[in-house]
Amino acid sequence: MNFLKKHCVAMLLAGGQGSRLLVLTENTAKPAVPFGGKYRIIDFPLSNCVNSGIDTVGILTQYQPLELNEYIGNGQPWRLNRSHGGVQVLPPYAKSKKTEWYKGTANAIYQNIPFIERYDPDYVLILSGDHIYKMDYAAMLRFAEQKNADCTIAVRTVPLAEASRFGIMNTNEDGSIYEFEEKPKHPKSTNASMGIYIFKWSVLREFLIADEEDPTSENDFGKNVIPALLSSGHKLYAYKFEGYWKDVGTINSLWEANMELLGTEPAFELDSDKGGRIYARNYAMPSSFIAKSSSNKDSLIGEGSGIYGDVKHSVISTGCTVEAGAVVEDSVIMPDVVIESGAIIRHAIIGEGCHICRGAVIGGSFAEGEEKKIAVVGKAKTIEANKTIAPGEVC
Amino acid sequence: MSTMGIIFANIYDSSLGELTNKRTMASLPYGGRYRQIDFSLSNMTNSGIRHIGVITKYNYQSLMNHIGSGQEWDLELEEGGLEFLSPYATDHNASYRGKLEALNSAMSFLKYAKEEYVILVDSGVLCAIDFNELLEHHIASGADVTVCVKTGIANGEKQLDMAVKVDKKNAVTDIAVDYCADESYLASMGIFVMRRDRLIREVTEAVAHNRYRFERDLVMHGFADGSLKINAYKFQGVALFNESTAEFFHNNLALLERKIREGLFRRPGRTIYTKVRNEIPSYYGESSEVDDCMVADGCVLEGTAIHSILFRGVKLAKNATVKDSIIMSDVTIGEGAELENVILDKDVVVGAGKKLRGTYEHPLILKRGEIV
Repeated sequence: MNFLKKHCVAMLLAGGQGSRLLVLTENTAKPAVPFGGKYRIIDFPLSNCVNSGIDTVGILTQYQPLELNEYIGNGQPWRLNRSHGGVQVLPPYAKSKKTEWYKGTANAIYQNIPFIERYDPDYVLILSGDHIYKMDYAAMLRFAEQKNADCTIAVRTVPLAEASRFGIMNTNEDGSIYEFEEKPKHPKSTNASMGIYIFKWSVLREFLIADEEDPTSENDFGKNVIPALLSSGHKLYAYKFEGYWKDVGTINSLWEANMELLGTEPAFELDSDKGGRIYARNYAMPSSFIAKSSSNKDSLIGEGSGIYGDVKHSVISTGCTVEAGAVVEDSVIMPDVVIESGAIIRHAIIGEGCHICRGAVIGGSFAEGEEKKIAVVGKAKTIEANKTIAPGEVC
Repeated sequence: MSTMGIIFANIYDSSLGELTNKRTMASLPYGGRYRQIDFSLSNMTNSGIRHIGVITKYNYQSLMNHIGSGQEWDLELEEGGLEFLSPYATDHNASYRGKLEALNSAMSFLKYAKEEYVILVDSGVLCAIDFNELLEHHIASGADVTVCVKTGIANGEKQLDMAVKVDKKNAVTDIAVDYCADESYLASMGIFVMRRDRLIREVTEAVAHNRYRFERDLVMHGFADGSLKINAYKFQGVALFNESTAEFFHNNLALLERKIREGLFRRPGRTIYTKVRNEIPSYYGESSEVDDCMVADGCVLEGTAIHSILFRGVKLAKNATVKDSIIMSDVTIGEGAELENVILDKDVVVGAGKKLRGTYEHPLILKRGEIV
C-alpha cells in the first residue's frame, strides 16, 4: 500500500520489566504504572510526541502487555487515532522462519524495520517509557537538522559526583560528541544521556542491520549502536535539555517524582500552561466529595474520590476513598484504593485497587535528613485490620 | 425489541433565565463536570440504545461542542449513531412551537429508522434510569403511550408540565398539563415511550390539525378522545427536576447528600459519561479548608469552601470564602472574597475582597465571563 511520508516517526521502548519497582510491576509493565493522581508513566512521552507534532508512534511492548495495550487502545485520548500513522502497539510477533522476543533495545527497533519503512521517514525518534518530563521533541529535531547530525542524543547536566551512574557524553564546543562512556569511574563531563535519540533513518537502518549480524552484540543502543556510530566517524551531537526530568525506575524515585508535584511552586508542573498538556485515558468519574470531617493540606486529589479523613502532602489518585479518622501523609495512593477509618499511612506507595482495613499502620516518619524508607503495597492487596507494615517494607 | 431515542435539548430554557441565555437547557452545567444532556445520553447508551436524535432549536453551538463526535458515549456521529436535528437541517420552517412540530421536522429521521420503539426524553429531569425496564413495562401494559412518573414532586405549588393520576394497574385515569397539581398527582418526568409507527402517525395527524404540543395535543388529546391508552411507569430512583433557577441551585447542592449523589452517579451499570477535559488533579494548598463540597479536577484551592459545588478549573485564593454556592468552570475568586448563595457561571472573575451574597431562595447569579 502506498502510504504518505512522515518526516519523523517515534518509537517508544516500553518493553522493560521494571523489576526495580518490585511489587508495583508484578502484573504491570512499567510504562503502565500510575503516576501523579490520574496518569500513567507512558502518558508523558506520548503527550510530548503529540505536543511536538509527531503523530506516528510505535510502542514496543513485550512484558505484561495486556494492560498497556488496553490502556493505549486506539490512541484517542492522545489524539493519536489517525487513519494514517497514529499509535500502534508493536509486540514481538511470529515471523515466517522464527519467533523472537526483543533481545535488546536495538533489536526491538530492528524487528520493526518494516513498520518504520511504511512511513518512509527522514528521522526516527527513540524514546523510553519510564521517564517523567515535558520536552519539545520538535526543537530537538530542528537542532538535529541544523547540525545535519546522524544521531542526536538528549543530555542533561548531572552533578559530577553522580556522573558515574550514567552514560556520559563527552563533547566538543559545538556539541559534537567525541566520546561516549557508559558509567565511567572517572567522568570527564557531566552530560548524562537521557535515553532519547534522534537518528537519520537511513543511517540507523544500516547500523541496526549490521548490529543484528554481529553475534557478539547485546543489541543495545547505549552499549552497541551508539559506540559503533562513533567509531565509524558518524556525526553525533548532544542536545542539552534544561527542564525537569526524572527516571522513575525505582521505588524511591517514583515516590520522589510524585512528591515533586506538590507545593505552590512544584518542581514539576503538570499544568498545561507550563510546557504542554499531559493527556491520559480518562474514566467517567463524578467529582470528588470532600467531607466536613476531612482535612486536605498540600495534596493532589484525583476525581471520583471520597475524602473523609486527613490527607497531608500526598497524591491521592482517582476513585479512592479515605474514611474518617484515617491519616495519609507523604504518600502516593494509586487509583481505586480504599483506606478504612483509623488506618495510618506515612511515606508509602499503595498500589492500585488495594484495600487497607481499619487501624492498619503502613510506613512511618523520618527525621530531617534521615533516609526515607518507602513502604510499598502491591496492586489489589488487602491489608488486614490493625496489621503493621514497617517503613521500607514491601508486600 | 429495538429502540431508538429522541432527546429534546430546549424545553424549559426560558425559565432558567440568564443561565440558558447562551446555551440550551441540555448543555446547562451540572454537578461539577456534567451537562444535563449527559444523563439522557448515558441512560440511552447504558440501555443499549445506539440510534439517537438530538432535537435542538437555538443556542446549540455549546451543545454540539460538548457532544463532539459522541465518542465519550461510544456513539459516532459519522456512523449515524447520533444525529443532530437542528431546525435548519430540514426544509421546514426554522422555528417550531412545540415538540410535535419539532418531531414533524425530524420526520425523515423517524421514518428511515428501523427501530420498533422510540423513547422521547426532555433534558430537564436528571436521573440514572434503565430504559429496558421502562420498555418492558410498556409492552407488558399493552398501552399506546407510557409516561415515566415520579411520586413526591407534585405539591400544589410547582407547576408541572404534565401530571397524571393512575389506577392500581398504573393505567392513567386523569391528565393535567401546565398545572400546579396537588399531592394526589404523579409528576411526568418528560420521558415517554411509544411504538415508532404509532408515533409517526400521531405526530402527522396532530400537526395536520395545527396541534403542536406533545403533552397537551398528543397525550392528553388521545387520552381524552379514547384513542390512546396511557400507562405510567413509576421510577423509584433519584430524579431531580431542574426546571427553574431555584431548582437548579437546590439540585446541585443536593448532591452533597450521599443518598442523592450515589443514586445519580453510583448505580451499577448506569455510569454517567461526559466530555473529557484532560485537567490535572485538583490541588489543595496548605491554607485550604474544604468542608462538604464536590470538587472537580483542575482546581487550585487555597481558601475556604463550605457546602458548595466547585466545577473544573476553579481557582480559590487565600482567605477567600465560598459558602452554599455553585461555582462553574474556570472561575477565579480573589483573595479575601466572600461569597454566599451565589451561582457563578463559567469564567467569572471575582476580585480580591469582593462580597457577594444571595439567598437560598434567590441565589445571586453572575453571567458567564462577568468580572466583578
